[in-house]
This record gives sequence, structure tokens and C-alpha cells, in this order.
Amino acid sequence: MKYYLKLGFILFVFCAIASGILAYINTLTAPVIAERKAREEEETRNSLIPNADFEQKVTDQGMIYYVAKDPAKDELLGYTFIAADVGYSSTVQTMVGVDPEFEVLGIQVVDQAETPGLGANCTSPSFASQFSGMSINDLYVDKDGGEVASLSGATITSRCITNSLRESILDVQDEDQIGGEQ
Amino acid sequence: MGYLGEIFVMAMTAIFIQNFVLSRFLGLCPYLGVSKKLDSALGMGMAVIFVMTLASAITFLINNYLLIPYSLGYLQTIAFILTIAALVQFVEMVIQKNAPALYKSLGVYLPLITTNCAVLGVAILNTTALRSDGVTEYNFLDSLLNGFFSGVGFTVVLLAMAGLRMRLDMAELPKSMKGMPIALILAGIMALSFYGFMGFQI
Amino acid sequence: MTFIKELTKGLIKDNPIFVLVLGLCPTLAVTTSVINALGMGSAATFVLLCSNIIISMIKGITPSKIRIPVYIVVIASFVTIVDMVMAAYLPDLHKSLGLFIPLIVVNCIILGRAEAFASKNNVIMSIADAIGMGLGFTLSLTLIATFREILGAGTWLGMRVTPMSYDPMLIAILAPGAFITLGFLMALMNMIKEKK
Repeated sequence: MKYYLKLGFILFVFCAIASGILAYINTLTAPVIAERKAREEEETRNSLIPNADFEQKVTDQGMIYYVAKDPAKDELLGYTFIAADVGYSSTVQTMVGVDPEFEVLGIQVVDQAETPGLGANCTSPSFASQFSGMSINDLYVDKDGGEVASLSGATITSRCITNSLRESILDVQDEDQIGGEQ
Repeated sequence: MGYLGEIFVMAMTAIFIQNFVLSRFLGLCPYLGVSKKLDSALGMGMAVIFVMTLASAITFLINNYLLIPYSLGYLQTIAFILTIAALVQFVEMVIQKNAPALYKSLGVYLPLITTNCAVLGVAILNTTALRSDGVTEYNFLDSLLNGFFSGVGFTVVLLAMAGLRMRLDMAELPKSMKGMPIALILAGIMALSFYGFMGFQI
Repeated sequence: MTFIKELTKGLIKDNPIFVLVLGLCPTLAVTTSVINALGMGSAATFVLLCSNIIISMIKGITPSKIRIPVYIVVIASFVTIVDMVMAAYLPDLHKSLGLFIPLIVVNCIILGRAEAFASKNNVIMSIADAIGMGLGFTLSLTLIATFREILGAGTWLGMRVTPMSYDPMLIAILAPGAFITLGFLMALMNMIKEKK
């Protein structure tokens, strides 16, 4: 019995040392990771709606969105938020910027793990740029009678991005109208 | 869609659409190592289903009641692998004591499972997996079921592979193709056929 | 002399992938591009080197009954360190390797070398063994990735190497292509060995 206690103790000491070292390294790397993530998000926001001040808001459903205002004239420039939906083999997250009339200013896919060479092409500028200027009614892929030209061989990814954009724009629009009535 | 529908989607996804072996590349060592005979493949498959289900359940509890509340996320890998190693040892001891017949058929495969990346893989994937609506995170039962179905998915392709390789033994092959090379090419063709399932929207 | 022998055996004679057939999961999963293969290879080599050093140092004080759990703790710690450092400084690579970084823990090569070599040899030999095996692993990954990236994307390390008229065979970078490429490469190795 004593022998087994000794074994357990040795194992415990190893685990404790390992956890201590990991905790120390975590304190070094965690801020770097968090800071880079925040900076990347901010850069994406700024590229979608340039020269704006962003204010974070949360809808009733818990969706986070940002209101963009012109810092000089205090004029509403639009909104940015992240739309997400399940695509072909992963959850695709797209950050989108819309103007006050809810027409798309631009989109950028921020997270995806779709098929390389097919669905993963959704990050290419040629696919993303076509969304600019579209209104909610245009946001269907061509196969569903809309304006969005699907990526070749990746209709599911294209449809997932398009639908997630449309639904989240509607969510923010609803929220905005409730806010307007108050 | 009710919860039964959710379970059906999860089962189809784990077994066919995102098969652990053929599209996620997890658990390849036993897939190629233990697929020479049908009965040993069956034994391995059963042991994997058993351990994966248990491991999914226990790592879920550890992750949600220990690691997340105390923000120890960085200890995830080390905690999960130790849990799995301990679990495998424990299961081995229990089976050996209480079910000698079962131990005889499963026993030799159990130690191999600790280093089967499918088990650690399912535990890690469960922590970030989402239900088919793309928002809800897995609860305890979801994780447990996902572990079970992933194990079933592993066993299905392992058995198919074993059946095919037994036939292959009789085929005349160039000498350099024999053994591992032809098994890999066979696995490739199998993966190709499983691609037919991918992208199904249930 | 033996140092050199331990160093070079991992390259050809005991090549971890083509001869020992260990660590197949990362081999097949991350070889979609050369850069991923190099990233995975160096991550695994780093873990292998550090764990071999530590394990050969502590081999005197670990009772043999609990040696496997102790090895796992050592390996898992280094894997977590690699994971955190990569997430902080090489985010793109971290993302494309994804799940397979924590899974280095269960890479049979690393635990296998710990058990078969580092627990029986001194630190210097264990370093040679780790570097040799790590290089063998990295080179094999790069070789497979070279075939897959050129055939499947027409590029090598991101640079276009095929004429514009070549339409990439997507299958090579998808899952089935991984199995088939490795299968043919292994057959080729066998053929070369027979000729000798």
C-alpha cells in the first residue's frame, strides 16, 4: 500500500511541475493571442467601414454587432457584425459591413475550414467583392434565384455564406427598428 | 426538428459524412494495423466504441466542471490524455476481474487504445462541436452520443477494410505493392466512395 | 561514431513513416501543402527532442510501474507549449494544423522513441535519436506534401511550378489522394529496396 502511495506521489509531483510550467507559459502567450485576435477583428472592421468609430451593442438574441459612426460629424455610417452558419465541413464565419440602408458594403470570411481548392476559395477577393452593393433581396445564390455567383464546385459553401449574411442582416435590421421606435 | 432528429443527424455525420478514419484522418494506426483479420477487427472496434463513449462522457465533465470554471483551458491536452490513459487502465482491470471471457477477446486491444488518436480526437472535438443549428454547444448527452457514434463509424470502416483485405490476400500483386502499399491504396478508394456522402444536408 | 549512427538511422534505415509505419494520422492529414508539412515536422521534432532529453534525464527516478503516465505528462506538456507558442506567433500555421497539434501527444513516434530509446540511453544518444527521427519524419512529410501540392494545386511552397495550362488534380489534396499518394510512395520505396 505504501509503495502505491509513493507511486501516486511521484506522478503527482510530475503533474504539478508540468502544470506550473504550463501556467507560466500561458501567462506569456495568452495576452499575445488575445491582443492579436482583437487587433485582427478591428482591422477587418476598419477595412469594411473605413474611418469610423465603432460602438459595441448586443441584440436581444445575444448577437454582438457594432454601430459605425463618423467621428467628425456624428453621422451613422453603418453596422458590422459576424454571420455564421454550418457550411460543407465546418462553421463558416463571415464579417460583414452594411450601410444604414442595410446594403452590403463588404464582406470578409474570418474563419472557415472548408475543402481546400473548392469551398476554401470563399476567402478569395473575387468571391467576396461581388457582395458589395447587394440588398437583402439579392442575397440568394444564383441557383436559388439570387444575385450571388456560387463558387464552382462549392454551392453549399456559397449558399451557407449567403444565407447566414441574409439572416444576420435581418436580425440587426429588426433590432435597429425596435431601437428606432423607442 | 426534435431531439431524435438531432441524434439521427449526429449518427449520420459521424458514421458516413465526416467519418473519423476516412475524412478526418483519426485512428489510422489501428485502421491499418488491426485490419488483417475480421475477428480481431471486430474486437478492436468494440473496444474502441466502449472507450470512446466513456472517454467522451468523462472528458466532458472534466472540461465543463473543472477546466472551464477555473479557466485552466491550457491544461486541456494534458488532462484529457491522462484521463484517457487512466480510463483505459481502469476498464482493463474491471473487465479482467469481472468478465474474463470478454477480457480474452478485448484485452489485447485495450492498451493500444491509449495512443489511438481517435479517442483524444473525439474528446477535443466535442469541446468545440456545435449542433446542426450551428449555435448550440454540445451538452453531456450530445457528447456521449457523439463519442458512441464516432466509435461506430470507426468500427464500420475497420470491418469493411478487414473484409476487403482478407480477399486481397488471394490476389496476385507485384511484390513491392504487397502489404501496406496496397492497403493504403484500398483505403484511398474507400475514402473516395465515402466522399459521395459528404456535403449531404440532412 | 555511434552518435552519427543514431543520428542517421532515422533518415532511411528506420524511417518512421516509410519503414516503421508510425504516426500515420498527421502524415496523411497535414500533407496538403509543403508549408503545413514543414510546420508539423518541426513541431513534432521539437516535442520529440525535448521529451527525449527529459525522459533520458529522469529515467533513474521514475519507477517502471508509472513510467508510461510520466512519459505522457512530459510529452503532453511540451505539446501544449508548442500549441500555445504557435497560436501566439504563427497563427496561420496554427490554424491550418488545427486539431493535429494537440494530437502530437498520441503520435506513436514520440511515445515509441521515449519507451524504446530514451528510457534506456543517455542524454547525448537520445538527442541524436530525436534529431534523426524528427528529421526523417519531417523529410517524409515534405516528400509526400511535395507530390500532393504539385499535383493537387500546381504549386510548391505556394509558388506556381506547373504551366498555366495544367488544371490541378484536386483529388490529390483531398482525403483519398492522401492514402493513394502514400501507397504509391511506399511501393516505390519497396521497389528500390528490392533492387539493391
